[in-house]
Amino acid sequence: MEDILFIIIAAIFAMRYLLRLQARGVFTILLVGLIGFFFSFTVAEMPPFGDPNNPVFNEIPARYMGEGIADTGAVNIVSSVIIDYRAFDTLGEATVLFVAIAAVIATLKSH
Amino acid sequence: MEDQIVRITSRLVAPFIQVYGIYVILHGHLSPGGGFSGGAIFGASLVLVALSFNLEVGAKQISHATASVLESGGALGFVITGLVGVAVGANFLANRAAGFPLGETGEFFSAGAIFIITAFLGVKVASTIVTLFYNIIEGEDKSGDAH
Repeated sequence: MEDILFIIIAAIFAMRYLLRLQARGVFTILLVGLIGFFFSFTVAEMPPFGDPNNPVFNEIPARYMGEGIADTGAVNIVSSVIIDYRAFDTLGEATVLFVAIAAVIATLKSH
Repeated sequence: MEDQIVRITSRLVAPFIQVYGIYVILHGHLSPGGGFSGGAIFGASLVLVALSFNLEVGAKQISHATASVLESGGALGFVITGLVGVAVGANFLANRAAGFPLGETGEFFSAGAIFIITAFLGVKVASTIVTLFYNIIEGEDKSGDAH
């Protein structure tokens, strides 16, 4: 922990006096570094890709893949999920499109 | 734009892109694709024609009134297809429970409400892309004249 703090403080002084950055630039680099640290931390904590013990492999995908064709009649499982099982979510997406186009027309249409 | 090669190429290619877009929309329940991707392909073909010719030629393909009718009609059709489930006594946006015929699995006319909703979504996405394109282009044009 002390090592990390020392490295950060040394980096601040190096940027400030060796590279002659302004205080704003130093702050920006530190902020970007902090965000990058949290992103990398989150990615490192994610479950490994394709592991059968992942939390996403529960009874829901088993139901979709096992009974999807009998439930919906669609061979394309993605289609049966987004337009049948999760159709309300897709309606929300269509609403987003509708609101976006309404906003564009309201802002740009001059006549 | 005055480029002859671009004009002739886009005029030759555009119908094939449109047929492919309709194919992707109508086979959404059988193969990869669906309303969003097929509508984007179809809308892109109309944008291609408008870009390679001028805007007046492009605007002749689909007028503002038609585009807004298709736009609202797509969203309305989606909701009405969902409300059929409520009218029958099942959930909102129900498919099999609302009595839509599922047909034979793997056939073209199958999957009940999925087929209908995908078609409405394709119309809506295509008209959204076209309307967005024309409004942004014309808005830029108008403000350029004013200032």
